[in-house]
Amino acid sequence: MLTDAKKQELEQTLKGLLEQADVIDAAVVVTVDGHLQAMAQKQDYPLERVAAMGSSFMSLGDTITAELKMGVCRNIISENESGIIVFMHINDSMILVSMTTDTSALGLLLSHSRIHAQKMQNML
Amino acid sequence: MNKIVFTGPMGAGKTTAIATVSDVPPIYTEVKATDAEVQQRKETTTVSMDYGYIVLEDNTRVHLYGTPGQERFSYMWPILTEGALGLVLLLDNANDDPIADLRFYLDAFSDFIEKTGVVIGITRCDISQKYSIADYQAVMMEHNLVFPLFEIDPREANDVKVLLHALLAILQY
Ligand SMILES: Nc1nc2c(ncn2[C@@H]2O[C@H](COP(=O)(O)OP(=O)(O)O)[C@@H](O)[C@H]2O)c(=O)[nH]1
Ligand SMILES: [Mg+2]
Repeated sequence: MLTDAKKQELEQTLKGLLEQADVIDAAVVVTVDGHLQAMAQKQDYPLERVAAMGSSFMSLGDTITAELKMGVCRNIISENESGIIVFMHINDSMILVSMTTDTSALGLLLSHSRIHAQKMQNML
Repeated sequence: MNKIVFTGPMGAGKTTAIATVSDVPPIYTEVKATDAEVQQRKETTTVSMDYGYIVLEDNTRVHLYGTPGQERFSYMWPILTEGALGLVLLLDNANDDPIADLRFYLDAFSDFIEKTGVVIGITRCDISQKYSIADYQAVMMEHNLVFPLFEIDPREANDVKVLLHALLAILQY
């Protein structure tokens, strides 16, 4: 588990992500076993539950990727009627889940999330 | 499709039970546990599901799904019980309060159990004899439930098969 100082650092990075990419509505950092570590949001999402679900989803992504021998699962994209959710590893114990209600913003969501995941990887 | 779901608290042996009897290499979604409390007991935990299948003597294939144990993953429970024939509930006799665990899971899965059926396997009886089958039976009686209860070791294929056969037997009635 992370220290409170590290969690605050992560939270600052998530805030930065939401500021830089205006279309991103919320982002969370969660451990691979489903514990919420940090979050930032512009609306009121049930992020505690989303965090646990993110870990289930990421593990299925990793499992199917391994089953098909496709190397490392880079990210999982969930494109929906009124939004997009992206799941990606920060390192082998942390996951970033980020989301937008702008259904045309996949590229932006992916690229900014990736950059910030990298930042947080270096930080941890 | 013949599908059976294994549930119960973390560490009760769900993942082990499915791996023990599966005829195919099981699918795991095990990740390393980050809570110190869990790490003391085991290194990894199931976050999505376990899956395997077993072909019975009469050639029926039974699909085996395991749930994550912790309540924060409870959204997986209805997903995994969808269309299932019945439930195998594993309880760790060496856990802090396995009687409370029994009550919790009977309650959490009550709708599903009412529609189908459940068998209960008490595990780690080699490590703790804290409670006997009779203690668990008393709780079942409180809930007006009459379902089979066994002491089992999930690492033993025969023990797991006893549970599966008992469940399939009660579901026939
Ligand atoms: N000694 C002993 N160990 C057990 C027994 N049942 C399970 N275990 C061990 O306890 C751990 C259970 O972990 P796991 O199957 O991952 O539990 P899950 O969280 O329910 O999936 C494994 O290391 C098993 O080998 C038992 O009856 N006796
Ligand atoms: Mg497990």
